[in-house]
Amino acid sequence: MAEEPQSVLQLPPSSAAGGEGLTDVSPETTTPEPPSSAAVSPGTEEPAGDTKKKIDILLKAVGDTPIMKTKKWAVERTRTIQGLIDFIKKFLKLVASEQLFIYVNQSFAPSPDQEVGTLYECFGSDGKLVLHYCKSQAWG
Amino acid sequence: MEEDEFIGEKTFQRYCAEFIKHSQQIGDSWEWRPSKDCSDGYMCKIHFQIKNGSVMSHLGASTHGQTCLPMEEAFELPLDDCEVIETAAASEVIKYEYHVLYSCSHQVPVLYFRASFLDGRPLTLKDIWEGVHECYKMRLLQGPWDTITQQEHPILGQPFFVLHPCKTNEFMTPVLKNSQKINKNVNYITSWLSIVGPVVGLNLPLSYAKATSQDERNVH
Repeated sequence: MAEEPQSVLQLPPSSAAGGEGLTDVSPETTTPEPPSSAAVSPGTEEPAGDTKKKIDILLKAVGDTPIMKTKKWAVERTRTIQGLIDFIKKFLKLVASEQLFIYVNQSFAPSPDQEVGTLYECFGSDGKLVLHYCKSQAWG
Repeated sequence: MEEDEFIGEKTFQRYCAEFIKHSQQIGDSWEWRPSKDCSDGYMCKIHFQIKNGSVMSHLGASTHGQTCLPMEEAFELPLDDCEVIETAAASEVIKYEYHVLYSCSHQVPVLYFRASFLDGRPLTLKDIWEGVHECYKMRLLQGPWDTITQQEHPILGQPFFVLHPCKTNEFMTPVLKNSQKINKNVNYITSWLSIVGPVVGLNLPLSYAKATSQDERNVH
């Protein structure tokens, strides 16, 4: 896989805990829209590999869910599904009553405490983990 | 607007059978219980959990940083310590029972559950609400009665808590439609349970996600 220049999006500490550890690896987006203002600076290139602390995640929208402008993210292996859900909800500016679900294999929702590193080991391919996300009014 | 995806009772039973087959392969202890006249039935699982959330470990094993002694030397452990550990653990163990039934009126599966301490004391609705995963707590608190209610089990006739099924189609339909687009076989019960289970402390091992796709020969 050819190495691409990365733009590293630093999320400020004041954003939600779920926002920590996520950096933007998408080269096609030069003006990302984070939940709050943040500095964007080019980062040094880390070789992709299994020993890397972060894994690449590709987010795909399902149904009527808004598509994220930035789809490719480098995420800490220890980030939980819940953390990722919180991050996407903020990114998409969903209201509290809207639930967001994340799926592997397009059909299975891992439990909220599941770490993305484990999911990558089980379901990752071509150096990335594809996750589908879907918003829904699940209850009430 | 997407057309809602309903499943008939026969289809429900078929998906449950596949689900249980995988459960048996990984020792997850789900089983099918037919009703008295065997016309219908439900899936059932029982699991035990220590109330503070830690993994259930062998009663009597050292948990205070002491060296683990082999069984034959266990007698040399001060008896008081063993008793204290066992007593404390016993009062905190909760038995969870999950039942998956088919709802004819909603044409979807429904999750019934109940929980009790080992001495038989049932958990209250308040205890249940407090045990709901952080992820869902906010939504639950906004409309608790829309989410978890107490109802009579249709087959057993005993009071159970129920996760309300009226919105099941809302979150299942996009997933199913999406899978259909790529000709992927999806076990409705597996998908559905992976979504609703965590709300009430039921987490499916990841191998269920692969169980259906292993039957497929195409890799994408």
